[in-house]
Amino acid sequence: MSDARNWAVYDRPDLRAAVASCAHGVCEVLIALDGMHCAGCAARAERLLAGAAQQVRVNLVARTVGFGFRPEQIRLSTLLQRLDQAGLQPRVLARQDGAQSAVTRRRLALARIGVATICAAQVMMLAWPSYFGVRPQPEIERLLRWAQWLIATPGVLWAGWPFFAGAAAALRVRMLNMDVPVALALAGTYAASVLHLLQGAGDLYFDTATMLVWFLSIGRHLEGRTRAYAIKHLRLLAGRRTLTAQRVRGGTLETVPLEALTVGDEVVVAPGDTLPADGALLGEAAELDESLLTGEAGPVLQRPSASLLAGSVNVGRAPLRLRVDHAGGDTRLAQITRLLDRAQTQKPRLQQFTDRIAGHFIAGVLAFAALGFALALRRGAGSAAAFDIALAVLVASCPCALSLAVPAALAAATSRLAASGLLVADATALQRLTGIDTVLFDKTGTLTRPHMRIARAGTFAALTLDACLEIAAALERGSRHPIAAAFAEITSARQATALDYTAGAGISGEIDGRRYWLGAVEPATGGLQLPVAAAVVAGQSTVVLSDAQDPLAWFALDNEPRPEARQVLGELSRRGLAIEILSGDAAGPVATLARRLGVGGYRARQTPQQKLERLQVQQRDGHRVLAVGDGVNDAPLLAAADVSAALPQGAALTQARADLLLLGDTLEALPQAIDVARRTRRRIRENLVWAAAYNLLVLPLALAGELAPWLAAAGMSLSSLLVVANALRVGDAGTPDPRHRRTPAPVIDMAGTR
Amino acid sequence: MQSLYLLIPLGVLVVFGAIGALVWAVVSGQYDDLDEQARRLPDDEP
Repeated sequence: MSDARNWAVYDRPDLRAAVASCAHGVCEVLIALDGMHCAGCAARAERLLAGAAQQVRVNLVARTVGFGFRPEQIRLSTLLQRLDQAGLQPRVLARQDGAQSAVTRRRLALARIGVATICAAQVMMLAWPSYFGVRPQPEIERLLRWAQWLIATPGVLWAGWPFFAGAAAALRVRMLNMDVPVALALAGTYAASVLHLLQGAGDLYFDTATMLVWFLSIGRHLEGRTRAYAIKHLRLLAGRRTLTAQRVRGGTLETVPLEALTVGDEVVVAPGDTLPADGALLGEAAELDESLLTGEAGPVLQRPSASLLAGSVNVGRAPLRLRVDHAGGDTRLAQITRLLDRAQTQKPRLQQFTDRIAGHFIAGVLAFAALGFALALRRGAGSAAAFDIALAVLVASCPCALSLAVPAALAAATSRLAASGLLVADATALQRLTGIDTVLFDKTGTLTRPHMRIARAGTFAALTLDACLEIAAALERGSRHPIAAAFAEITSARQATALDYTAGAGISGEIDGRRYWLGAVEPATGGLQLPVAAAVVAGQSTVVLSDAQDPLAWFALDNEPRPEARQVLGELSRRGLAIEILSGDAAGPVATLARRLGVGGYRARQTPQQKLERLQVQQRDGHRVLAVGDGVNDAPLLAAADVSAALPQGAALTQARADLLLLGDTLEALPQAIDVARRTRRRIRENLVWAAAYNLLVLPLALAGELAPWLAAAGMSLSSLLVVANALRVGDAGTPDPRHRRTPAPVIDMAGTR
Repeated sequence: MQSLYLLIPLGVLVVFGAIGALVWAVVSGQYDDLDEQARRLPDDEP
């Protein structure tokens, strides 16, 4: 299929602009390599691009490669073709506006933390004589003081720049934020120190200033990287957008960029390809995978003139024709993408809350500092001593530990959970998770595996079962239809030719000169009486294999339970949670599954509406509910639940609404998530109590002038360190079961790039 | 004590060197992805 793909279209300037960000003659692109499964493939991709591209960055976890190239030297299509021929299945991802500047921002933030760390440590080294009251020779002391200034300057002015910028931005719109007292303290300590330095006498606070920058930027970074990590994953899941379309013009097909499509155009979508626009289906019926948009896991049969959605995949075997009704930014997919983008720019709720109380808190801090200054003057202290007191108050009441208390614990918890394959999309979900007492599970795809398997099979005597399986496997080979997955593991030496496919009915083909059909019960059998065993599982999918005259075999397909489901449910109930299964399936299969998993409560034949009502009844009874599911049927349930968790093969939309994403395609991380959430809550409480107690304790001391600014800063730092150390205990308390480490650990790196 | 007149300025220079090296390393993207390299095959080619 890929050889037919017209890579050359990516050389057109208009399409290149949609995929690459170009500057100074170099264009940067991001390519998804679906075929890059191993470390060796990554090395191969790098070799293929070596020489022709610059700054090749292969990411094995995300299966992407980013590189820069010079359009006048090499064509993008040449590079794509190379990757394609190597079997890496390149897929050009649409340009993300601002992605590059986000990377630069993250790098700068990390560099600032590093600089602040170095500067804080070195300034303290140079300041130690003053800590112990040692008075070196005057010349040496002067040298030490000037050296402190030299080192503290980049640490305060460059590393602390974001605080000044943030404070200025807030003041410009007449608001107070956390940055204001910080910037004030930084400016005050730095300016006073420089003044004392020039006077050649008086205390220096360069150590205080650099330490402030150091601790505060770490806290801020911890907060940001958790979110950046979750958003990146969501983007990858929702990023399956196509960039080109096959347009019919004057009886021939031409490959055009999406932007060129207009309403009324006719496009052809090859099997396995993604629909480029919303539109009406022309010609015959077609089968589509709409899971990206609706979450419906199975294929959907669409009749002629039905309206189809961009982003769905043609899972049939025949190309389909489409008349474009909405193109580009008007498609539903584009609207969803915009929603995701908006979510990305929104501040987390916790941050909003902090910002809101910060306004009052900070006004208080500033008032106290002014009060301290005024009191000291009235006591008859000199203006220098009064300034010392004001500084001490400003530093002592600095909400450093307070501002680190929550984000440090949440960051430790989320990276701990990410290592076991659970992604926390909404950090506040961890707090809500602690109150959960009931868990509602969806059945198909959640407690069972998403792919179908052959549950039972039987023949109608003419051929052996093995022969029938081989024939069926040959017919379904290469198909993306969900039913084909059930036959995918059967090896078959037979080759099917002249495949003919009827949407909704099944597939037929010739094997060794004979024609066979494989399809759903009714069309293939024409009123055939199924044997009893097949009838038992009826209600699930049963397909029949037949030749030109007679039915040959039947296959009943179902979804097998996940191997870890029983244990996970056991662990959840041991933690005091009530468990219930809500399924749209018939009573028989649901009861069987509930028995096998040891669950008492289950409800079968539930419509999405009934599921939601059940949830609401439970919530009215005062229960806090965690809903676990996938698929669109669960979207209302997930949205209404107190906390929601989704499995990765569910639709991107469902996941966008879920608070927790189970990335490892396993439920194993769920009990652990409850543990970590409970532990996190304990740590956060301890942290808040400690930070508040510390601030309350030192504030009167500072006001009374009993606390030197350097002592206030040292105490503040120690308090912050305690809070961070306590928060990090969330991560390592309770050695995890080795099984939980099976999924590759996507540990968040300090740069927070993933 | 005389040696301090040399050592302190030298120390300041070393700190600036360290700052420069760190900023260069971070901004050139070496800390973007810390897990990746551990999972790669060794690059044996010359």
